[in-house]
Amino acid sequence: MYASAVQDLIDELGRLPGVGPKSAQRIAFHLLKLPTEDALRLARAISEMKARISFCRRCFNVAEGEACQICLDDRRDASVVCVVEEPRDIVAVEKTQEYRGRYHVLQGAISPIEGIGPEQLRVRELLARVQAEGITEIILCTNPNIEGEATAMYLARLLAPAGLKVTRIASGLPVGGDLEYADELTLGRALQGRRDVES
Amino acid sequence: MRLIRLWVGNYRNYESAELEPAPEGLTVIEGANGDGKTNLLEAVAYLATLSSFRGAPVDALVRHGVERAVVRAEVEREGRSVLLEVEIHAGGRHRMMVNRQPVRRARDLLGALRVSVFSPDDLSMVKGGPGERRQYLDEVLVALRPANEALRADVERILRQRNALLKQAQARLAERKRGSDQLSPDVASTLDVWDAKLSDAGEMLADAREDLVMALEPQVTKAYGQLATGKGDVTLAYQRSWRGPLSDALATARDEDLRRAVTTAGPHRDELSLAITGGGREVPVPLPARTHASQGEQRSLALALRLGAHVLITESTGSSPVLLLDDVFSELDAARSSALLASLPLGQALLTTAGSAPAGFSPARTVSVRAGRVEAGRAS
Repeated sequence: MYASAVQDLIDELGRLPGVGPKSAQRIAFHLLKLPTEDALRLARAISEMKARISFCRRCFNVAEGEACQICLDDRRDASVVCVVEEPRDIVAVEKTQEYRGRYHVLQGAISPIEGIGPEQLRVRELLARVQAEGITEIILCTNPNIEGEATAMYLARLLAPAGLKVTRIASGLPVGGDLEYADELTLGRALQGRRDVES
Repeated sequence: MRLIRLWVGNYRNYESAELEPAPEGLTVIEGANGDGKTNLLEAVAYLATLSSFRGAPVDALVRHGVERAVVRAEVEREGRSVLLEVEIHAGGRHRMMVNRQPVRRARDLLGALRVSVFSPDDLSMVKGGPGERRQYLDEVLVALRPANEALRADVERILRQRNALLKQAQARLAERKRGSDQLSPDVASTLDVWDAKLSDAGEMLADAREDLVMALEPQVTKAYGQLATGKGDVTLAYQRSWRGPLSDALATARDEDLRRAVTTAGPHRDELSLAITGGGREVPVPLPARTHASQGEQRSLALALRLGAHVLITESTGSSPVLLLDDVFSELDAARSSALLASLPLGQALLTTAGSAPAGFSPARTVSVRAGRVEAGRAS
Protein backbone atom coordinates (compact mmCIF):
# COMPACT_ATOMS: atom_id res chain seq x y z
CA MET A 1 0.00 0.00 0.00
CA TYR A 2 2.82 2.41 0.96
CA ALA A 3 6.27 2.87 -0.49
CA SER A 4 8.17 -0.22 0.56
CA ALA A 5 10.53 1.64 2.97
CA VAL A 6 7.50 2.94 4.88
CA GLN A 7 5.83 -0.46 4.88
CA ASP A 8 9.04 -2.07 6.17
CA LEU A 9 9.11 0.35 9.09
CA ILE A 10 5.42 -0.24 9.86
CA ASP A 11 6.06 -4.01 9.87
CA GLU A 12 9.06 -3.63 12.20
CA LEU A 13 7.20 -1.35 14.59
CA GLY A 14 4.23 -3.71 14.56
CA ARG A 15 6.45 -6.44 16.02
CA LEU A 16 7.09 -4.41 19.16
CA PRO A 17 5.16 -5.43 22.28
CA GLY A 18 1.99 -3.43 22.79
CA VAL A 19 2.07 -1.89 19.32
CA GLY A 20 -0.78 -2.87 17.00
CA PRO A 21 -1.03 -2.23 13.26
CA LYS A 22 -2.81 1.11 13.75
CA SER A 23 -0.23 2.44 16.22
CA ALA A 24 2.61 1.19 14.04
CA GLN A 25 1.21 3.19 11.16
CA ARG A 26 0.83 6.30 13.28
CA ILE A 27 4.39 6.10 14.63
CA ALA A 28 5.80 5.51 11.15
CA PHE A 29 4.09 8.59 9.74
CA HIS A 30 5.14 10.64 12.73
CA LEU A 31 8.77 9.64 12.11
CA LEU A 32 8.36 10.48 8.44
CA LYS A 33 7.40 14.03 9.34
CA LEU A 34 10.23 14.52 11.86
CA PRO A 35 13.38 16.43 10.89
CA THR A 36 16.02 13.95 9.73
CA GLU A 37 18.24 14.68 12.72
CA ASP A 38 15.50 13.82 15.24
CA ALA A 39 14.62 10.58 13.52
CA LEU A 40 18.26 9.54 13.29
CA ARG A 41 18.70 10.19 17.01
CA LEU A 42 16.19 7.42 17.67
CA ALA A 43 17.94 5.11 15.22
CA ARG A 44 21.29 5.88 16.88
CA ALA A 45 19.90 5.27 20.34
CA ILE A 46 18.75 1.82 19.24
CA SER A 47 22.02 0.85 17.62
CA GLU A 48 24.09 2.28 20.51
CA MET A 49 22.06 0.28 22.97
CA LYS A 50 22.51 -2.90 20.99
CA ALA A 51 26.23 -2.26 20.63
CA ARG A 52 26.99 -1.27 24.22
CA ILE A 53 24.54 -3.09 26.39
CA SER A 54 24.81 -6.75 27.13
CA PHE A 55 23.87 -8.94 30.04
CA CYS A 56 25.77 -8.95 33.31
CA ARG A 57 28.00 -12.00 33.51
CA ARG A 58 27.03 -12.64 37.06
CA CYS A 59 23.34 -11.85 37.40
CA PHE A 60 22.13 -11.39 33.78
CA ASN A 61 20.75 -7.96 34.44
CA VAL A 62 21.30 -5.49 31.60
CA ALA A 63 24.81 -4.11 31.83
CA GLU A 64 27.23 -1.81 30.09
CA GLY A 65 30.34 -3.94 30.00
CA GLU A 66 30.80 -7.17 31.89
CA ALA A 67 29.00 -6.43 35.14
CA CYS A 68 25.85 -4.49 35.94
CA GLN A 69 25.63 -1.44 38.22
CA ILE A 70 24.29 -3.52 41.11
CA CYS A 71 26.97 -6.20 40.96
CA LEU A 72 29.63 -3.47 40.78
CA ASP A 73 28.31 -1.77 43.91
CA ASP A 74 30.40 -2.91 46.89
CA ARG A 75 27.85 -1.73 49.40
CA ARG A 76 25.33 -4.36 48.31
CA ASP A 77 24.96 -7.41 50.50
CA ALA A 78 26.45 -10.29 48.53
CA SER A 79 24.95 -12.97 50.77
CA VAL A 80 21.33 -12.35 49.71
CA VAL A 81 20.11 -12.90 46.16
CA CYS A 82 16.69 -11.96 44.83
CA VAL A 83 15.66 -14.14 41.88
CA VAL A 84 13.50 -12.39 39.28
CA GLU A 85 12.17 -13.28 35.83
CA GLU A 86 13.20 -10.19 33.85
CA PRO A 87 15.54 -7.18 34.24
CA ARG A 88 12.50 -4.89 34.49
CA ASP A 89 11.53 -6.73 37.68
CA ILE A 90 14.80 -5.52 39.21
CA VAL A 91 13.68 -1.95 38.56
CA ALA A 92 10.43 -2.67 40.38
CA VAL A 93 12.19 -4.14 43.42
CA GLU A 94 14.81 -1.37 43.45
CA LYS A 95 12.09 1.28 43.62
CA THR A 96 11.08 -0.07 47.01
CA GLN A 97 14.52 0.87 48.41
CA GLU A 98 13.91 -1.97 50.84
CA TYR A 99 16.38 -4.36 49.34
CA ARG A 100 20.15 -4.15 49.60
CA GLY A 101 21.18 -7.54 48.26
CA ARG A 102 22.01 -8.69 44.77
CA TYR A 103 19.85 -10.15 42.00
CA HIS A 104 19.68 -13.04 39.61
CA VAL A 105 17.66 -12.69 36.40
CA LEU A 106 16.26 -15.97 35.08
CA GLN A 107 15.31 -14.37 31.75
CA GLY A 108 11.88 -15.98 31.82
CA ALA A 109 9.77 -18.51 33.69
CA ILE A 110 9.14 -22.22 33.20
CA SER A 111 6.43 -22.56 30.56
CA PRO A 112 6.40 -25.75 28.49
CA ILE A 113 3.72 -24.24 26.20
CA GLU A 114 6.31 -21.70 25.05
CA GLY A 115 9.03 -24.34 25.06
CA ILE A 116 10.75 -22.86 28.12
CA GLY A 117 12.19 -25.31 30.62
CA PRO A 118 14.90 -24.87 33.29
CA GLU A 119 17.61 -25.37 30.66
CA GLN A 120 16.38 -22.30 28.76
CA LEU A 121 16.62 -20.22 31.93
CA ARG A 122 19.67 -19.07 33.92
CA VAL A 123 19.19 -21.82 36.47
CA ARG A 124 22.54 -23.54 36.14
CA GLU A 125 24.21 -20.15 36.57
CA LEU A 126 22.23 -19.58 39.76
CA LEU A 127 23.39 -22.90 41.20
CA ALA A 128 26.98 -22.05 40.33
CA ARG A 129 26.63 -18.74 42.16
CA VAL A 130 25.24 -20.40 45.29
CA GLN A 131 28.39 -22.47 45.57
CA ALA A 132 30.85 -19.80 44.55
CA GLU A 133 29.59 -16.67 46.30
CA GLY A 134 28.72 -17.80 49.82
CA ILE A 135 25.04 -16.94 49.44
CA THR A 136 22.95 -17.54 52.57
CA GLU A 137 19.48 -16.48 51.46
CA ILE A 138 17.59 -16.69 48.16
CA ILE A 139 14.38 -14.70 47.72
CA LEU A 140 12.15 -16.11 44.98
CA CYS A 141 10.59 -13.06 43.40
CA THR A 142 8.93 -14.58 40.31
CA ASN A 143 5.46 -13.44 39.21
CA PRO A 144 2.46 -14.69 41.22
CA ASN A 145 0.94 -16.51 38.21
CA ILE A 146 0.94 -20.21 37.33
CA GLU A 147 4.29 -20.12 35.55
CA GLY A 148 5.99 -17.92 38.14
CA GLU A 149 4.73 -20.11 41.00
CA ALA A 150 5.89 -23.26 39.21
CA THR A 151 9.32 -21.71 38.66
CA ALA A 152 9.54 -20.74 42.33
CA MET A 153 8.59 -24.26 43.40
CA TYR A 154 11.14 -25.77 41.00
CA LEU A 155 13.92 -23.56 42.36
CA ALA A 156 12.92 -24.14 45.99
CA ARG A 157 13.19 -27.91 45.45
CA LEU A 158 16.45 -27.56 43.56
CA LEU A 159 18.01 -25.36 46.22
CA ALA A 160 16.80 -27.36 49.22
CA PRO A 161 19.88 -29.64 49.40
CA ALA A 162 22.18 -26.59 49.45
CA GLY A 163 20.94 -25.88 52.98
CA LEU A 164 20.40 -22.14 52.63
CA LYS A 165 17.39 -20.04 53.46
CA VAL A 166 14.90 -19.89 50.59
CA THR A 167 11.96 -17.51 50.83
CA ARG A 168 9.06 -16.58 48.57
CA ILE A 169 7.60 -13.07 48.42
CA ALA A 170 4.13 -12.76 49.91
CA SER A 171 1.13 -11.92 47.78
CA GLY A 172 -1.70 -9.83 49.05
CA LEU A 173 -3.23 -6.40 49.21
CA PRO A 174 -1.80 -3.21 47.76
CA VAL A 175 -0.81 -0.69 50.43
CA GLY A 176 -2.99 2.39 50.62
CA GLY A 177 -5.85 0.61 48.89
CA ASP A 178 -9.30 -0.11 50.15
CA LEU A 179 -10.44 -3.62 50.96
CA GLU A 180 -13.65 -3.08 49.06
CA TYR A 181 -11.77 -2.48 45.81
CA ALA A 182 -9.55 -5.55 46.12
CA ASP A 183 -10.46 -8.36 43.77
CA GLU A 184 -11.64 -11.47 45.54
CA LEU A 185 -8.66 -13.54 44.41
CA THR A 186 -6.06 -11.20 45.88
CA LEU A 187 -8.09 -10.75 49.02
CA GLY A 188 -8.43 -14.53 49.31
CA ARG A 189 -4.65 -14.95 49.01
CA ALA A 190 -4.13 -12.24 51.58
CA LEU A 191 -6.45 -14.06 53.98
CA GLN A 192 -4.63 -17.34 53.46
CA GLY A 193 -1.28 -15.65 54.11
CA ARG A 194 -2.44 -13.77 57.23
CA ARG A 195 -0.01 -13.24 60.08
CA ASP A 196 -0.17 -12.85 63.83
CA VAL A 197 -0.27 -9.24 64.90
CA GLU A 198 2.72 -8.29 67.02
CA SER A 199 1.56 -6.98 70.34
CA MET B 1 -33.10 -10.01 41.75
CA ARG B 2 -35.54 -8.84 39.16
CA LEU B 3 -35.57 -7.70 35.57
CA ILE B 4 -37.74 -4.60 35.39
CA ARG B 5 -37.33 -3.66 31.75
CA LEU B 6 -35.25 -4.73 28.79
CA TRP B 7 -34.41 -2.65 25.74
CA VAL B 8 -32.70 -3.99 22.66
CA GLY B 9 -31.49 -1.97 19.69
CA ASN B 10 -30.23 -3.53 16.45
CA TYR B 11 -30.01 -6.84 18.25
CA ARG B 12 -30.54 -9.91 16.03
CA ASN B 13 -33.89 -9.33 14.24
CA TYR B 14 -34.91 -6.39 16.46
CA GLU B 15 -34.45 -2.83 15.28
CA SER B 16 -35.72 -1.51 18.56
CA ALA B 17 -37.85 -3.22 21.14
CA GLU B 18 -38.78 -3.11 24.77
CA LEU B 19 -39.88 -5.88 27.09
CA GLU B 20 -41.42 -5.44 30.49
CA PRO B 21 -41.84 -8.75 32.24
CA ALA B 22 -44.05 -9.30 35.25
CA PRO B 23 -42.11 -8.35 38.39
CA GLU B 24 -42.96 -11.67 40.05
CA GLY B 25 -43.87 -15.06 38.66
CA LEU B 26 -43.98 -16.21 35.09
CA THR B 27 -43.93 -14.12 31.91
CA VAL B 28 -44.73 -16.09 28.78
CA ILE B 29 -43.26 -14.86 25.49
CA GLU B 30 -45.25 -16.36 22.65
CA GLY B 31 -44.81 -16.13 18.92
CA ALA B 32 -44.20 -18.16 15.78
CA ASN B 33 -40.90 -19.80 14.94
CA GLY B 34 -38.29 -17.29 13.82
CA ASP B 35 -40.12 -14.26 15.20
CA GLY B 36 -37.48 -13.60 17.85
CA LYS B 37 -38.66 -15.05 21.16
CA THR B 38 -35.38 -16.69 22.05
CA ASN B 39 -33.48 -13.56 20.99
CA LEU B 40 -35.05 -11.71 23.91
CA LEU B 41 -33.97 -14.35 26.42
CA GLU B 42 -30.55 -14.41 24.82
CA ALA B 43 -30.28 -10.62 25.26
CA VAL B 44 -31.17 -10.87 28.96
CA ALA B 45 -28.64 -13.66 29.46
CA TYR B 46 -26.05 -11.68 27.53
CA LEU B 47 -26.14 -8.91 30.10
CA ALA B 48 -25.59 -11.49 32.80
CA THR B 49 -22.82 -13.54 31.21
CA LEU B 50 -21.46 -11.55 28.22
CA SER B 51 -21.90 -14.62 26.07
CA SER B 52 -24.71 -16.16 24.06
CA PHE B 53 -26.24 -19.27 25.58
CA ARG B 54 -26.76 -20.44 22.02
CA GLY B 55 -22.99 -20.34 21.55
CA ALA B 56 -23.39 -17.70 18.85
CA PRO B 57 -20.40 -15.53 17.87
CA VAL B 58 -20.68 -11.83 18.65
CA ASP B 59 -21.27 -10.71 15.06
CA ALA B 60 -24.36 -12.94 14.90
CA LEU B 61 -25.92 -10.80 17.64
CA VAL B 62 -25.71 -7.55 15.72
CA ARG B 63 -28.58 -6.92 13.33
CA HIS B 64 -27.62 -7.47 9.73
CA GLY B 65 -26.23 -4.36 8.05
CA VAL B 66 -25.47 -2.27 11.16
CA GLU B 67 -22.29 -1.90 13.19
CA ARG B 68 -23.40 -2.31 16.73
CA ALA B 69 -26.20 -3.58 18.89
CA VAL B 70 -27.25 -2.28 22.27
CA VAL B 71 -28.76 -4.28 25.09
CA ARG B 72 -29.90 -2.35 28.13
CA ALA B 73 -31.81 -3.41 31.19
CA GLU B 74 -33.17 -1.94 34.33
CA VAL B 75 -32.62 -4.43 37.10
CA GLU B 76 -33.70 -4.43 40.70
CA ARG B 77 -31.10 -5.78 43.00
CA GLU B 78 -31.37 -5.83 46.76
CA GLY B 79 -34.14 -3.28 46.53
CA ARG B 80 -32.16 -0.87 44.36
CA SER B 81 -32.53 -0.15 40.70
CA VAL B 82 -29.46 -0.65 38.50
CA LEU B 83 -29.18 0.27 34.84
CA LEU B 84 -26.99 -2.09 32.82
CA GLU B 85 -25.94 -1.54 29.25
CA VAL B 86 -23.75 -3.36 26.78
CA GLU B 87 -22.87 -2.09 23.35
CA ILE B 88 -21.91 -5.03 21.15
CA HIS B 89 -19.73 -4.23 18.15
CA ALA B 90 -19.81 -6.58 15.19
CA GLY B 91 -16.02 -6.69 15.35
CA GLY B 92 -16.24 -8.29 18.77
CA ARG B 93 -15.62 -5.39 21.17
CA HIS B 94 -17.85 -4.45 24.04
CA ARG B 95 -18.63 -1.26 25.84
CA MET B 96 -20.23 -1.76 29.19
CA MET B 97 -21.97 0.70 31.45
CA VAL B 98 -23.43 0.36 34.90
CA ASN B 99 -25.72 3.23 35.90
CA ARG B 100 -24.46 5.13 32.83
CA GLN B 101 -20.88 4.94 34.12
CA PRO B 102 -18.52 3.09 31.79
CA VAL B 103 -16.87 0.07 33.40
CA ARG B 104 -13.69 -1.36 32.00
CA ARG B 105 -13.59 -4.86 33.36
CA ALA B 106 -16.19 -7.45 32.51
CA ARG B 107 -16.04 -8.43 36.18
CA ASP B 108 -17.64 -5.14 37.15
CA LEU B 109 -20.69 -5.91 35.04
CA LEU B 110 -20.97 -9.60 35.74
CA GLY B 111 -22.91 -10.37 38.86
CA ALA B 112 -25.11 -7.28 38.59
CA LEU B 113 -27.70 -9.52 36.93
CA ARG B 114 -27.75 -13.26 37.38
CA VAL B 115 -29.75 -15.72 35.32
CA SER B 116 -30.46 -19.45 35.22
CA VAL B 117 -30.98 -20.57 31.64
CA PHE B 118 -32.62 -23.69 30.33
CA SER B 119 -32.43 -24.20 26.59
CA PRO B 120 -33.20 -27.22 24.38
CA ASP B 121 -29.43 -27.68 23.88
CA ASP B 122 -29.20 -28.67 27.54
CA LEU B 123 -30.25 -32.16 26.55
CA SER B 124 -26.56 -32.64 25.76
CA MET B 125 -25.86 -32.54 29.51
CA VAL B 126 -27.59 -35.91 29.72
CA LYS B 127 -26.89 -37.36 26.27
CA GLY B 128 -23.47 -35.86 25.61
CA GLY B 129 -20.02 -36.69 26.90
CA PRO B 130 -18.70 -36.14 30.45
CA GLY B 131 -17.24 -32.77 29.41
CA GLU B 132 -20.75 -31.31 29.16
CA ARG B 133 -21.55 -32.40 32.70
CA ARG B 134 -18.25 -31.12 34.11
CA GLN B 135 -18.96 -27.78 32.44
CA TYR B 136 -22.39 -27.72 34.07
CA LEU B 137 -20.85 -28.32 37.50
CA ASP B 138 -18.18 -25.67 36.96
CA GLU B 139 -20.77 -23.10 35.86
CA VAL B 140 -22.76 -23.70 39.02
CA LEU B 141 -19.58 -23.49 41.13
CA VAL B 142 -18.78 -20.08 39.65
CA ALA B 143 -22.36 -18.89 40.19
CA LEU B 144 -22.07 -19.89 43.85
CA ARG B 145 -18.60 -18.42 44.34
CA PRO B 146 -16.94 -16.22 41.69
CA ALA B 147 -13.45 -17.15 42.98
CA ASN B 148 -14.05 -20.65 41.63
CA GLU B 149 -13.55 -19.26 38.14
CA ALA B 150 -9.88 -18.63 38.95
CA LEU B 151 -9.52 -22.17 40.27
CA ARG B 152 -11.06 -23.64 37.13
CA ALA B 153 -8.82 -21.49 34.91
CA ASP B 154 -5.73 -22.47 36.96
CA VAL B 155 -6.44 -26.18 36.53
CA GLU B 156 -6.91 -25.69 32.81
CA ARG B 157 -3.66 -23.75 32.47
CA ILE B 158 -1.65 -26.22 34.57
CA LEU B 159 -2.98 -29.08 32.45
CA ARG B 160 -1.97 -27.32 29.25
CA GLN B 161 1.53 -26.76 30.64
CA ARG B 162 1.86 -30.33 31.88
CA ASN B 163 0.64 -31.80 28.58
CA ALA B 164 3.03 -29.58 26.63
CA LEU B 165 5.88 -30.85 28.81
CA LEU B 166 4.78 -34.47 28.33
CA LYS B 167 4.81 -33.98 24.58
CA GLN B 168 8.33 -32.52 24.66
CA ALA B 169 9.55 -35.31 26.95
CA GLN B 170 8.04 -37.90 24.65
CA ALA B 171 9.75 -36.37 21.63
CA ARG B 172 13.07 -36.36 23.46
CA LEU B 173 12.72 -39.97 24.56
CA ALA B 174 11.97 -40.91 20.95
CA GLU B 175 15.11 -39.09 19.78
CA ARG B 176 17.50 -41.16 21.82
CA LYS B 177 15.93 -44.45 20.87
CA ARG B 178 18.70 -46.61 22.09
CA GLY B 179 20.02 -46.43 25.61
CA SER B 180 17.84 -45.97 28.62
CA ASP B 181 14.25 -44.86 28.64
CA GLN B 182 15.00 -42.68 31.64
CA LEU B 183 13.89 -39.08 31.61
CA SER B 184 16.59 -36.50 31.93
CA PRO B 185 16.68 -35.26 35.55
CA ASP B 186 15.73 -31.77 34.38
CA VAL B 187 12.52 -32.96 32.73
CA ALA B 188 11.67 -35.28 35.61
CA SER B 189 12.02 -32.54 38.21
CA THR B 190 10.03 -30.06 36.11
CA LEU B 191 7.31 -32.65 35.72
CA ASP B 192 7.37 -33.09 39.52
CA VAL B 193 6.56 -29.40 39.87
CA TRP B 194 3.61 -29.56 37.47
CA ASP B 195 2.39 -32.71 39.24
CA ALA B 196 2.49 -30.86 42.58
CA LYS B 197 0.64 -27.86 41.08
CA LEU B 198 -1.96 -30.11 39.44
CA SER B 199 -2.56 -32.18 42.54
CA ASP B 200 -3.12 -29.06 44.68
CA ALA B 201 -5.47 -27.29 42.29
CA GLY B 202 -7.00 -30.52 40.97
CA GLU B 203 -7.91 -31.81 44.44
CA MET B 204 -9.45 -28.45 45.28
CA LEU B 205 -11.57 -28.44 42.13
CA ALA B 206 -12.66 -32.07 42.58
CA ASP B 207 -13.48 -31.45 46.27
CA ALA B 208 -15.53 -28.40 45.33
CA ARG B 209 -17.39 -30.35 42.64
CA GLU B 210 -17.98 -33.27 44.98
CA ASP B 211 -19.44 -31.00 47.67
CA LEU B 212 -21.55 -29.35 45.01
CA VAL B 213 -22.96 -32.67 43.78
CA MET B 214 -23.93 -33.57 47.36
CA ALA B 215 -25.72 -30.25 47.76
CA LEU B 216 -27.33 -30.52 44.31
CA GLU B 217 -28.63 -34.05 44.54
CA PRO B 218 -31.63 -33.40 46.81
CA GLN B 219 -32.62 -30.36 44.72
CA VAL B 220 -32.30 -32.17 41.41
CA THR B 221 -34.10 -35.23 42.77
CA LYS B 222 -36.91 -33.04 43.99
CA ALA B 223 -37.22 -31.17 40.70
CA TYR B 224 -37.13 -34.43 38.75
CA GLY B 225 -39.72 -36.00 41.01
CA GLN B 226 -42.06 -33.07 40.39
CA LEU B 227 -41.54 -33.14 36.63
CA ALA B 228 -41.89 -36.90 36.36
CA THR B 229 -44.91 -36.72 38.68
CA GLY B 230 -43.73 -39.57 40.82
CA LYS B 231 -42.63 -41.81 37.98
CA GLY B 232 -39.02 -42.64 38.53
CA ASP B 233 -36.16 -41.27 40.53
CA VAL B 234 -32.69 -39.94 39.79
CA THR B 235 -29.34 -40.24 41.54
CA LEU B 236 -26.24 -38.11 41.07
CA ALA B 237 -22.70 -39.15 41.88
CA TYR B 238 -19.35 -37.50 41.31
CA GLN B 239 -16.78 -40.01 40.11
CA ARG B 240 -13.12 -39.08 40.29
CA SER B 241 -10.77 -40.43 37.67
CA TRP B 242 -8.32 -41.45 40.38
CA ARG B 243 -8.19 -43.01 43.84
CA GLY B 244 -6.33 -41.74 46.89
CA PRO B 245 -4.28 -38.55 46.74
CA LEU B 246 -3.97 -37.10 43.24
CA SER B 247 -0.21 -36.71 43.68
CA ASP B 248 0.12 -40.51 44.10
CA ALA B 249 -2.15 -41.14 41.13
CA LEU B 250 -0.07 -38.83 38.95
CA ALA B 251 3.11 -40.59 40.03
CA THR B 252 1.61 -43.98 39.22
CA ALA B 253 0.28 -42.78 35.88
CA ARG B 254 3.50 -41.07 34.82
CA ASP B 255 4.74 -43.78 32.46
CA GLU B 256 1.34 -44.04 30.83
CA ASP B 257 1.09 -40.23 30.61
CA LEU B 258 4.52 -40.01 28.99
CA ARG B 259 3.64 -42.71 26.50
CA ARG B 260 0.40 -41.02 25.47
CA ALA B 261 1.56 -37.42 26.06
CA VAL B 262 -1.65 -36.60 27.93
CA THR B 263 -2.57 -36.37 31.58
CA THR B 264 -4.73 -39.40 32.36
CA ALA B 265 -5.75 -38.58 35.93
CA GLY B 266 -7.25 -35.37 37.21
CA PRO B 267 -10.47 -33.38 37.42
CA HIS B 268 -10.57 -33.09 33.62
CA ARG B 269 -11.28 -36.83 33.47
CA ASP B 270 -13.94 -36.93 36.15
CA GLU B 271 -17.57 -37.69 35.56
CA LEU B 272 -20.90 -36.64 37.00
CA SER B 273 -22.88 -39.82 36.70
CA LEU B 274 -26.63 -39.54 36.31
CA ALA B 275 -28.73 -42.62 36.92
CA ILE B 276 -32.45 -43.28 36.91
CA THR B 277 -34.59 -45.86 38.66
CA GLY B 278 -38.27 -46.70 38.59
CA GLY B 279 -40.48 -45.21 35.91
CA GLY B 280 -42.00 -48.63 35.17
CA ARG B 281 -38.64 -50.40 34.98
CA GLU B 282 -38.38 -53.81 36.50
CA VAL B 283 -34.70 -53.46 37.31
CA PRO B 284 -34.43 -52.03 40.83
CA VAL B 285 -30.86 -50.75 40.37
CA PRO B 286 -30.11 -47.29 38.96
CA LEU B 287 -29.31 -47.30 35.25
CA PRO B 288 -27.17 -44.70 33.46
CA ALA B 289 -29.44 -41.99 32.13
CA ARG B 290 -27.34 -41.47 29.02
CA THR B 291 -28.08 -44.91 27.65
CA HIS B 292 -31.14 -46.13 29.52
CA ALA B 293 -33.49 -43.18 29.93
CA SER B 294 -36.19 -42.42 27.37
CA GLN B 295 -36.03 -39.18 25.42
CA GLY B 296 -38.72 -37.65 27.64
CA GLU B 297 -36.91 -38.72 30.80
CA GLN B 298 -33.64 -37.28 29.51
CA ARG B 299 -35.34 -33.95 28.81
CA SER B 300 -36.90 -33.91 32.26
CA LEU B 301 -33.54 -34.71 33.79
CA ALA B 302 -31.77 -31.91 31.88
CA LEU B 303 -34.44 -29.49 33.08
CA ALA B 304 -34.20 -30.87 36.63
CA LEU B 305 -30.44 -30.24 36.63
CA ARG B 306 -31.04 -26.58 35.74
CA LEU B 307 -33.92 -26.11 38.16
CA GLY B 308 -32.02 -27.85 40.96
CA ALA B 309 -29.01 -25.58 40.43
CA HIS B 310 -31.33 -22.57 40.31
CA VAL B 311 -32.83 -23.44 43.69
CA LEU B 312 -29.41 -24.14 45.21
CA ILE B 313 -28.03 -20.80 43.95
CA THR B 314 -31.12 -19.01 45.25
CA GLU B 315 -30.77 -20.60 48.67
CA SER B 316 -27.06 -20.05 49.09
CA THR B 317 -26.82 -16.52 47.69
CA GLY B 318 -30.09 -15.37 49.21
CA SER B 319 -31.47 -13.98 45.97
CA SER B 320 -33.11 -15.70 43.08
CA PRO B 321 -31.54 -15.41 39.62
CA VAL B 322 -33.95 -14.62 36.79
CA LEU B 323 -35.06 -17.97 35.39
CA LEU B 324 -35.04 -18.14 31.58
CA LEU B 325 -36.79 -21.15 30.04
CA ASP B 326 -36.37 -21.37 26.28
CA ASP B 327 -38.90 -23.39 24.34
CA VAL B 328 -39.44 -25.67 27.27
CA PHE B 329 -42.86 -27.07 26.34
CA SER B 330 -41.62 -28.54 23.08
CA GLU B 331 -39.43 -30.72 25.24
CA LEU B 332 -42.10 -32.09 27.52
CA ASP B 333 -45.43 -33.86 27.22
CA ALA B 334 -48.61 -32.21 28.50
CA ALA B 335 -48.44 -33.83 31.93
CA ARG B 336 -44.84 -32.81 32.47
CA SER B 337 -45.48 -29.28 31.14
CA SER B 338 -48.27 -28.83 33.67
CA ALA B 339 -46.08 -30.30 36.38
CA LEU B 340 -43.30 -27.84 35.52
CA LEU B 341 -45.61 -24.84 35.71
CA ALA B 342 -47.10 -26.04 38.96
CA SER B 343 -43.68 -26.46 40.55
CA LEU B 344 -41.83 -23.39 39.25
CA PRO B 345 -39.55 -22.00 41.95
CA LEU B 346 -40.41 -18.62 43.43
CA GLY B 347 -39.05 -15.53 41.78
CA GLN B 348 -39.17 -14.15 38.29
CA ALA B 349 -39.24 -16.44 35.28
CA LEU B 350 -39.42 -15.82 31.52
CA LEU B 351 -40.52 -18.60 29.22
CA THR B 352 -40.79 -18.79 25.44
CA THR B 353 -43.27 -20.93 23.57
CA ALA B 354 -44.40 -21.32 19.98
CA GLY B 355 -47.69 -22.87 21.05
CA SER B 356 -49.95 -22.01 23.90
CA ALA B 357 -49.40 -22.73 27.55
CA PRO B 358 -51.03 -25.90 28.89
CA ALA B 359 -54.73 -25.63 29.57
CA GLY B 360 -55.79 -24.30 32.93
CA PHE B 361 -52.67 -22.27 33.48
CA SER B 362 -52.44 -18.50 33.61
CA PRO B 363 -49.07 -16.79 33.63
CA ALA B 364 -48.60 -13.44 35.36
CA ARG B 365 -48.07 -11.80 31.99
CA THR B 366 -48.11 -12.82 28.33
CA VAL B 367 -46.12 -10.98 25.70
CA SER B 368 -46.47 -11.58 21.97
CA VAL B 369 -43.60 -11.35 19.53
CA ARG B 370 -44.31 -10.87 15.83
CA ALA B 371 -41.43 -10.61 13.36
CA GLY B 372 -39.07 -8.57 15.50
CA ARG B 373 -41.75 -6.55 17.31
CA VAL B 374 -42.80 -6.95 20.89
CA GLU B 375 -46.51 -6.35 21.30
CA ALA B 376 -47.81 -4.87 24.49
CA GLY B 377 -47.86 -7.33 27.32
CA ARG B 378 -51.17 -8.18 28.82
CA ALA B 379 -51.74 -9.39 32.30
CA SER B 380 -54.02 -12.33 32.54
